[in-house]
Amino acid sequence: MILRLIERTGVFLASLAVSSVLVFAFMVVLPGDPARVALGVNASDEAVAELRRQFGLDRPLATQYFDWLGGLLHGDLGTSYISKVAIGSQVFDRLQVTLWLVIAGMIIALVVAVPAGTLMAARHRHVSGLALSAVSQLGVAVPAFLAGILLIVVFAVKLGWLPANGWTPPAQDPQMFLKQLILPALALGLVQGAVLTRYVRSAVLDVLREDYLRTARAKGLRPFQALWRHGLRNAAAPVVTVLGLQLATLLIGAVVVERVFVIPGLGSLLLDGVSNRDLLLVQDVVMVLVIAVLLVNYIVDLMYVALDPRLRTGAR
Amino acid sequence: MKSSFSIRAVALVAVAAVLGLTACSAGSSTSSGSSPAGEQKLTIGLVAEPASLDFTTTDGAAIPQALLGNVYETLVKQDDSGKMVPSLAKSWTVSPDRKTYTFDLVDKAKFTNGKPFTASDAVFSINRVKTAWTTSLKAAMDVVASAKALSPTQLQVTLAKPSNDWLFRMTTRIGAMFSESGVSALATDPVGTGPYRFSKWNRGDSIVMDRNDAYWGTKPFFQEITLKYFKDPTALNNALLTGTINVISTVQAPEALSQFTSNDKYQVIEGTTNGEVLLSFNNSRPFFKDLRTRQAIRMAIDHKALLDTCWAGRGKLIGSMVPPTDPWYEDLTGIAPFDLAKAKSMLQASGAAGKTLRLRLPTLPYATSCGQVVKSQLEQAGLKVVIDQLEFPAAWLTTVFKNADYDMSIIAHVEPRDLGAVFNPKYYTRYDDPTLQGYLAAADAGDGAAQIDNMKKAARRLSEQAAGDWLFLLPNLMVADKDIKGLPTNAITENFDLSELSR
Amino acid sequence: MRRLNPSLVVGGVIVGLIVLMALVSFVWTPYDATLVTPASRLLRPSWSHWFGTDKFGRDVLSQIMVGSRTTLFVGVVAVGVAAVIGVPLGILSAMVRRWPSEFIMRANDLLLAFPALLLAIMFGAVFGASTLTAMIAIGIASVPSFARVIRSGALQVMRTEYVLAARAAGRQPWPIAVRHVLPNVTSLITVQASVSFAIAVLAEAALSFLGYGTPPPTPSWGRMLQESQEFLFSAPRLAIFPGVAIAIAVLGFNLLGDGLRDRFDPKLEDRR
Repeated sequence: MILRLIERTGVFLASLAVSSVLVFAFMVVLPGDPARVALGVNASDEAVAELRRQFGLDRPLATQYFDWLGGLLHGDLGTSYISKVAIGSQVFDRLQVTLWLVIAGMIIALVVAVPAGTLMAARHRHVSGLALSAVSQLGVAVPAFLAGILLIVVFAVKLGWLPANGWTPPAQDPQMFLKQLILPALALGLVQGAVLTRYVRSAVLDVLREDYLRTARAKGLRPFQALWRHGLRNAAAPVVTVLGLQLATLLIGAVVVERVFVIPGLGSLLLDGVSNRDLLLVQDVVMVLVIAVLLVNYIVDLMYVALDPRLRTGAR
Repeated sequence: MKSSFSIRAVALVAVAAVLGLTACSAGSSTSSGSSPAGEQKLTIGLVAEPASLDFTTTDGAAIPQALLGNVYETLVKQDDSGKMVPSLAKSWTVSPDRKTYTFDLVDKAKFTNGKPFTASDAVFSINRVKTAWTTSLKAAMDVVASAKALSPTQLQVTLAKPSNDWLFRMTTRIGAMFSESGVSALATDPVGTGPYRFSKWNRGDSIVMDRNDAYWGTKPFFQEITLKYFKDPTALNNALLTGTINVISTVQAPEALSQFTSNDKYQVIEGTTNGEVLLSFNNSRPFFKDLRTRQAIRMAIDHKALLDTCWAGRGKLIGSMVPPTDPWYEDLTGIAPFDLAKAKSMLQASGAAGKTLRLRLPTLPYATSCGQVVKSQLEQAGLKVVIDQLEFPAAWLTTVFKNADYDMSIIAHVEPRDLGAVFNPKYYTRYDDPTLQGYLAAADAGDGAAQIDNMKKAARRLSEQAAGDWLFLLPNLMVADKDIKGLPTNAITENFDLSELSR
Repeated sequence: MRRLNPSLVVGGVIVGLIVLMALVSFVWTPYDATLVTPASRLLRPSWSHWFGTDKFGRDVLSQIMVGSRTTLFVGVVAVGVAAVIGVPLGILSAMVRRWPSEFIMRANDLLLAFPALLLAIMFGAVFGASTLTAMIAIGIASVPSFARVIRSGALQVMRTEYVLAARAAGRQPWPIAVRHVLPNVTSLITVQASVSFAIAVLAEAALSFLGYGTPPPTPSWGRMLQESQEFLFSAPRLAIFPGVAIAIAVLGFNLLGDGLRDRFDPKLEDRR
């Protein structure tokens, strides 16, 4: 098991390194000169060249890459070309916002998916199971931003119960923070919940069919007892894996939801950065997102090893 | 059974708690803008967030919109009708040769760093434009030969040649007065003499300003003003409806105005701006060399139908690059009236019929919307039009603006009095016309009457020569809570004047 | 006798209808979907315009029909790209020895860190927003799911007595791959294709909504949704038609995928 842990860690680190090269390379290819955008419309060519020199954009690519990487490792994300503000603090602030949204969305997704999926699996041959299945299919088919728009129209504008958009830090006004969090988290969470429900259902169904479950029932355990004691724990492994994979989708799905609800999160920082050709900012934000996803996958891998006894022995 | 039951129970409890929280507070105000403590607070919704707070090195209309007149002040400013009125300069005289301006400055003005405003700060600011500014607008200060402080409250500026334009430009951002000791952190910490002080910038969200209680002039009504930035026009509208903001500074989705006009909780303001929506021709391309082709394109467009279709009929139709608030405005829409048959025959005559044009649009709402109408109308006249979308600002600036790699484009030019700046050979319009240059030079050098006369000739020349087509003038569309007073009808200056606002 | 299950039927019908609509739109639509007619702006649904008109006077039904072409086109190319890269990758990683296999799968996982939307935004920024860049980006982002699914399916095939015997007999890997593995994973490919198609439709809608998808005036359901935002109060039907179209399309492909999965998975046979 230790060997596998080391192996996984090595892979994780290697993935980080390779992604950083990919991200950097991509930024280099991006057309549009950040210096020109910063100086704007009629800047003289000399001013643009001078600013490029200041940004360090005229150095050899390898130098730029290693400088950037070194900065990252020290936690120094550099200064934005366009706004001249330290990127690190911007990313940190925005990341908190997006994390709140994503975590709230995931909680809602789990709260919806686990009971619904289990129920659907247990009753998969009854009408209620089929009905739930149909509803979850519909949930999957609706894009998060459409759900967001509909939620705004119903709950914010027509009923006036909740604010239509905006964001308040929790420390500043906890009540407002919660109120503003509900609709976007629902938009993200309900849709993800529908997707997750289907995975839960199929994982539980798989488990229901397993021989050891039949054995448990033969031993006299009632269906749901058997399900809980033997089934869910084994169903947990694939579900946890999926949850990890879903994180990437959630993080990026938050981008569109952030746009609809005007939430100053990482997603909108990224989009703004791209349209302003704020190269360094985009590079850093993409890298942060990639690191987050890789990290979650790494943790999921570790948990997978812990959860599945068959994997512990290293057999294939 | 127990576990799934308990999971569901937990979920139910959680949902109930949240709903309960919402319901409890649904009774109290759901808005942050109109709470009782907010009598003295105002939140304004805007669309383009500044990239930095330093307009000396960063271009864009958003920065002066927020800071000019509010945090920074100029020597002179423009009032709502376009007249030049005193600001930091109480009065001024011009020498007979019109080359020397002498300003009498106010003596009580102070910067937010505690230092008093004196003529030496004015000299510093004027000279700094030439030495430290990097944006293109700095060129307007090139005509200044020297600036001198005759006394702490008397400033003398000598120009290299007479220029009507210079004093006007001093009402824009290049005339902003900086403190000699207050320019170290312009991007994040602006120091000015104005009625408001910069307080906080929540990037991606808002800029907060506090009333400057040490202000030398009439103190403004609102103690705190928040400028909130929205990317999405619908979110902006929704924010007013739910009370998150009190004013929409510019409606970007005019179709949605009907929800406000029928609701007497709100006032809708419609005025004019300086924003000419220009359908630009790349005059350096062979396709546009023939006058008949250019005129035909203008005449193939039914401007009234276009405005109705793509901007809900809000806005003014103009015939040249001059808005109604400029002293030399004339209605020139009759020069190229809509006449599809004539347009078709002119295109046949000049040999342009059947050719393909690339219309490269920036990703801005009015451009995307109106571009589709332009394409449809030009295709009815016999041309083929292919639409490209270029991200704004980066991609559009590089491709269309810098490299002039386009046939036609659509963009609103919002700077005041920009006729000369836009239509010259170096600008992306690549318009080379010595006659026009002659009129512009004469307008700048001559006296008041000569200026008006020559500018009229310049505007007429542009229209007759079909240097481009003016789709319409962007309207100043604002919506606000009914009780807000002092909102400008026309938006003709670079700044959004917060000091006039009250409740 | 293999029974048809409801998912397969409903999904199949929906997908079939959409394909039919797209094909018909090449030959005929009620009106020209891109012609601006100011005189007929914002008309409510009526006999002459079944779904009404938009702010440019364009017939909404015609736009939905032509938009289905974009949707299907994006889906086909994206899934095609994903399959062409992902299937060989999955089979390869199942057949080679431990370290190369791990390497491939890790590289695969790396790709998972770049979700469709992110890639598409980046591609759109570099190469200009267009249907093509969206398709390729979504396709590349869908490779990992294909590769994973095909790999596990291939691994299962590798363990069958059939293949074990062939390997013991000394047969070369490639003929084994083609003769035994490929035919047995086609069902997996079909199922995954259906699922990925649904994801592609959703991704295209989101991209068009953000402004990185199909540029105007080519009709696209996602962009129609974005354009309808201005009219949420005065004409909510403008959001409903493309919204429902997107939801139905995604539903159809998901149902189809589920139905195919149920049909092909022998273990479920006796439970259904």
